[in-house]
Amino acid sequence: MITFSNVSLIYPHSTKTILEDLSFQIQEGEMVLVMGETGSGKSSLLRLINGLVPHHTGGILAGDISVDGISTRTVKPGSLAHLVGIVGQNPINGFVTDIVEEELAFSMEALNFAPDVMRKRVEEVLDLLSLSSLRNRSIATLSGGEQQRVAIGAALVMQPKVLVLDEPTSALDPIAAEEVLSVLHRLVHDLSVTVIIAEHRLERVIQFVDRIIYIEGNGETSIGSADEILKSSELVPPIVKLARALNLSEIGTSVREVRRATDEIRSHQYPLPVVAQKANSPAIEVTDVSHSYGEKVALNKVNTTIHHGEIVAIMGRNGAGKSTLLHSIVGLHTPQKGSISVNGQDPTELTGGARRQAIGYVPQEPSDLLFASSVEEECSHADRDNELEPGSTAALLNRLVPHISHNAHPNDLSEGQRLALVLSIVLAASPDVLVLDEPTRGLDYRAKSLFGLALKEYATQFNRPVLLATHDVELVAELADRVLFLAEGDIVADGTTLEVLLSSPAFAPQVAKIMSPKPWLTVSDVVQALGDVK
Amino acid sequence: MKKPLHPLTLWISAILLAIGVVALDNAWIALAIVGAVALLVFARRDGSPWERSFNLSLRIGAVILGIRTIVGILIGVPIPGTVLFTLPILDLPSWMPGIRIGGAVTLERLSSSLHEGVIIATMIALFGAATSLTSPHKLLRVTPSFIYEIGITLVIATSLFPQLATSARRIRTAQKLRGMENIHIRSMAIPLLEESLSRSLQLAAAMDARGYGISRKRSRYRPQQWLMRDNVIVLLTVATSAVMVVR
Repeated sequence: MITFSNVSLIYPHSTKTILEDLSFQIQEGEMVLVMGETGSGKSSLLRLINGLVPHHTGGILAGDISVDGISTRTVKPGSLAHLVGIVGQNPINGFVTDIVEEELAFSMEALNFAPDVMRKRVEEVLDLLSLSSLRNRSIATLSGGEQQRVAIGAALVMQPKVLVLDEPTSALDPIAAEEVLSVLHRLVHDLSVTVIIAEHRLERVIQFVDRIIYIEGNGETSIGSADEILKSSELVPPIVKLARALNLSEIGTSVREVRRATDEIRSHQYPLPVVAQKANSPAIEVTDVSHSYGEKVALNKVNTTIHHGEIVAIMGRNGAGKSTLLHSIVGLHTPQKGSISVNGQDPTELTGGARRQAIGYVPQEPSDLLFASSVEEECSHADRDNELEPGSTAALLNRLVPHISHNAHPNDLSEGQRLALVLSIVLAASPDVLVLDEPTRGLDYRAKSLFGLALKEYATQFNRPVLLATHDVELVAELADRVLFLAEGDIVADGTTLEVLLSSPAFAPQVAKIMSPKPWLTVSDVVQALGDVK
Repeated sequence: MKKPLHPLTLWISAILLAIGVVALDNAWIALAIVGAVALLVFARRDGSPWERSFNLSLRIGAVILGIRTIVGILIGVPIPGTVLFTLPILDLPSWMPGIRIGGAVTLERLSSSLHEGVIIATMIALFGAATSLTSPHKLLRVTPSFIYEIGITLVIATSLFPQLATSARRIRTAQKLRGMENIHIRSMAIPLLEESLSRSLQLAAAMDARGYGISRKRSRYRPQQWLMRDNVIVLLTVATSAVMVVR
């Protein structure tokens, strides 16, 4: 279906080769995962398939790419619209109309399809993706998962043979992600659509894929079955890490397989893990906070206390009120009812330097905080703001990510580097509490573990609280001491990470699913328990 | 769901009513029309992002009314009548005869300024209402194909504006939370510019990938039909505005 022969790609004004001498073939009805570190060229590879690269972006392309026998060299991306459907990272940025139905029809209108054909295909796609109830809704009012389904639908109306998706689940909660992935699974199996998908959170997609294209940082690319690639790759999901740690003979990609292989381990008795008791010293107190937007209740009489030295994760589905709670705590708005105090202060009254020292906040788009034209300038600005010795922030950054170029423009950094830069700017003020909104979107495993270490160090070294809202269960399992679970504006669960994650099947991390009913969340939990027995 | 009116019906009605309001030049009737339109907008809102444009147009109207009144009081030819209060007169050079800044403010002068302000604000509110009931995207769908190319450019531009406002607010609050009290234009403009550029590029790429511009002809999905009630509404507004113009 898709053939890459000796493909190399260089972008204009760049000396770095994105892809070098890449050759592979993808058959009809295959589901292929493209993985690699951030900035390794995954998106470029995906956009080569329908010719958006280099037709739209410029760049030098050597070799040849053909889809269903048509070379992308000879035609514009639009001429492949009936063959290749592409869904971008942020679907909302690619929507052209306001209404679901019109969005689905857009491609067909552009290609002058007859009205009765359009009508029929739109109905088919609405049924296929269970979008019928949303057909007249305005796209802006849909949830993240629904928008993603609309974007997939808008590509599917053309009945393409190939569907290309760039991180389709990165903004979604685990349940919405499951929905989207099961739709893809059905397309592959029922309609023989070829699906090519790029994703960082391998644990979400790994059980569905047939083959993996692994773009390594050094320009090398390997292609093979999931088992082959994961045996030796550096980026692996927890399920493979577990298999490696336990020296299992075979690497499995589904929970079921690995569960079978670990029957014996689970049959033994193990001492219960010791949960360290945290000192009871309140840092953030939230009392009876309610907030609503028009008729929609975002928070409903929320009560909670965050203690010093605690890392607390706020979880819940998209729209459950996580961001509203964080915004209230950092003082972005005054809650309509109730009160919040952060170390005895009202967060809405803080300004300037006092605010920087009281609350460190990393927003959902970390780059909102950046405005200078180089990393160095940002760092020295932070030094001046906080009256630190010149170079302090840069030193902090160097510890987080050692090899960052200080002359680089913040926009040219990879997601992980940019987050590290923002984090060091925020930490330079040595804030009393640290609040982060969805920090690990778009981070690969390596960047994520570095980031986790930095947060842990901050919490333990200074005995200060860290509060983060996230969809990333694996991150929560590794990092958090406590989890608050929000649903429709209420806290429905509040307890240690172990209690909360084990009690909910959708939000359980991979290791917990494999090792259930044993109380282990991460690979290191398992290794430690086994070690204790020996 | 309520079946929406034809987009052109709303726009034709808005234009006709605006002509009528100007011709009749009666502030009370103008205010009554704004009230009626506000009820209509409230009854037919569908939760689209365009809905807010009516409120926005009311706000712009209020600002214009304010400015018109203040300017009317300060500058202009004196109108005799009941004196409300007197402002000091500013001396102007002799080559500007007939114009006066300050001076006695009469009830007549105040009411004539208010009156003109209300008429202007009404026109803006009428167009605001039309926009909030039929998004520009819907209007574009019923326009003839030969202006479609210009139209789609407008769509990109118009869909960028609300996003720009949201992004600006987001960046502003984020930076305030970084403790930056004095926001420099530069620190706002750079993230904003980068974001809107990359968004427009993404939108253009998405349209490109979905086959836009490949075929010279375009078909219409579920073309909006011109129904009997559209005739009725247009005829009614024609009659109303005709009465307003003739009087």
